[in-house]
Amino acid sequence: MRAFFTSLLANRKASIGAGIVAFFLALAVFGPLVAPAGPNQRVGRPHEAPSATHLMGTTRMGRDVLAQTIHGTRTSLLVGLSAGLMITAIGTVVGVTAGYLGGRVDEALNLITNVVLVIPNLPLMLVLAAFIGAASPATIALIIAGTAWGWGARVTRAQTQSLRNRDYIHAAELLGEPTWRILACELLPNLVSIIGFNFIGSVLYAVVTEATLEFLGLGDALKVSWGTMLYNAQTTSALQVGAWWEVACPCLALVLFGSGLSLINFAMDEVANPRLRTLRLKLRAMA
Amino acid sequence: MSFLLRRAGFYVVAFVVAAIFNFLLPRLMPGNPVDIMFAQAGTVLPPESLEALKATFGFVDGPWPVQFGRYLASVFTFDLGLSVRFHPLTVNAVLMQALPWTLLLVLTSSLIAFLLGSALGIRAAWRRGGAFDSFGAPAALMIQAVPPLVTSLVALFVLSIRLKWLPTGYAWAPELDPGFTPAFIGSVLVHAALPILTLVVAQIGGYLVTMRNSMINLLGEDYITLATAKGLSDGRVRYAYAARNALLPTVTSFAMTLGATFGGALITEIVFNYPGLGYTLYQGITARDYPLIQGQLMLMTLAMLTANFAADLLCLALDPRLRRA
Repeated sequence: MRAFFTSLLANRKASIGAGIVAFFLALAVFGPLVAPAGPNQRVGRPHEAPSATHLMGTTRMGRDVLAQTIHGTRTSLLVGLSAGLMITAIGTVVGVTAGYLGGRVDEALNLITNVVLVIPNLPLMLVLAAFIGAASPATIALIIAGTAWGWGARVTRAQTQSLRNRDYIHAAELLGEPTWRILACELLPNLVSIIGFNFIGSVLYAVVTEATLEFLGLGDALKVSWGTMLYNAQTTSALQVGAWWEVACPCLALVLFGSGLSLINFAMDEVANPRLRTLRLKLRAMA
Repeated sequence: MSFLLRRAGFYVVAFVVAAIFNFLLPRLMPGNPVDIMFAQAGTVLPPESLEALKATFGFVDGPWPVQFGRYLASVFTFDLGLSVRFHPLTVNAVLMQALPWTLLLVLTSSLIAFLLGSALGIRAAWRRGGAFDSFGAPAALMIQAVPPLVTSLVALFVLSIRLKWLPTGYAWAPELDPGFTPAFIGSVLVHAALPILTLVVAQIGGYLVTMRNSMINLLGEDYITLATAKGLSDGRVRYAYAARNALLPTVTSFAMTLGATFGGALITEIVFNYPGLGYTLYQGITARDYPLIQGQLMLMTLAMLTANFAADLLCLALDPRLRRA
């Protein structure tokens, strides 16, 4: 475990990725302190090009693009992290339970997992979001978590099954350890790296998906986030009138944050058990 | 054979689950489901069409099993009701008008990304640790982290708005009449180029990395060493021995990621005003056209199941072990 983290820290890709992610986390926490203006404050004329006073220009409504992006970081990251956490939690509980208990329970859980996997996510989320109406960021996080836990559960189940028949698990069973203790103290530590992959991939997926749903007009357009910024830019035809800066800043934030997470994932893959390589399938499914 | 039967049974279950979602959601919302779903429709549709539409969604007198039975019957006969936004067309007619355009984008881009990505992945794995591999594999992962939304916005701005190389939207030049004329087909291809390019960029990294990883895992196997020792040519070992087996995970993931590809196509179409499912759906969402939004879930699920079934058949062809199991 210790060696895993030591070699992870020595990896250059990992440190660059961690640096990027840390930067955005800091921006989410302290952003409102350093932002040049409030998120909904009119500071200039509509669609002013980038200049010294407005580093990334202004929107159609005369709001500072950079300031909006900085304020939006908090919402986007909050949704990403909370949805990522929920996806990982559901996936881990379902995967470990199915993989360890086997039999009927496994069959039932596996069927549910496969159904979740095969029903296309975005169309399903569109139906959910359309009925809910202007969905708040918290609702969006719940919708994302409820529809996207399938991959994590499948991979965790497979790994649990392969650990299930190791000698040390049998030994623990013969010693009479209670099931919860075997799950929590014997199995879970050996699943840490797979859970880590699941978490990072899920956060990336959630941030992108939130932006996509809001871009489609299914979010609450008054809450400033990267997605609603793109939605407002699209509805005011910012690109068509040449105001590229209104789109550039949130796009850059999405790409940079995503690259940071992928770098960490890639480095973890290099360090960890080569058997875990299949997890890349998960990342690509989310692309 | 039992393998296929098991899969077919699973697909029916998955389809019914998607239908249950559509049936339950309006009934779970606070308030009267009929009001929620048909608020827009009431102002657009004549009363008798509205009654027919309600019946399609199971809003009939009787206990809920009867209502659900009615709904399932309409779903399995693919009667998805009337569209509100595109009145007087049925949801079916609206979806079928849009579907070919989306299929054109999804299938062409998937095929290009699959062939190109797998070929590059094979190359990277064959010389693993080499210059191409150590640059290509991380680069592929980085590209994957870029959402299709961003790729299409950038492509639209740089290639169509600034450089004016390619059109900014629509599926063909409006002055042409649709038909099998060289001018029309050419126009369709030019208009499809940007959306397809965007979707290829979104998918190619995944195929490259999956292929590379499963190739690398296989290259250590004894039968590869044996094939080399027998003096088979490099190309034979690479393609007929390693790549054929390495393709299996790719084929399975091909079907699984089709949902994501459809999702990406929806976004791309909206950015490029391309008249496929995504753009139609976008108009439906803005008008809160619930029958259309629900209909697309059934259609997309059906598309996913069909693709998975095709992947099952392909796996069966590639892997003789499945035939015996």
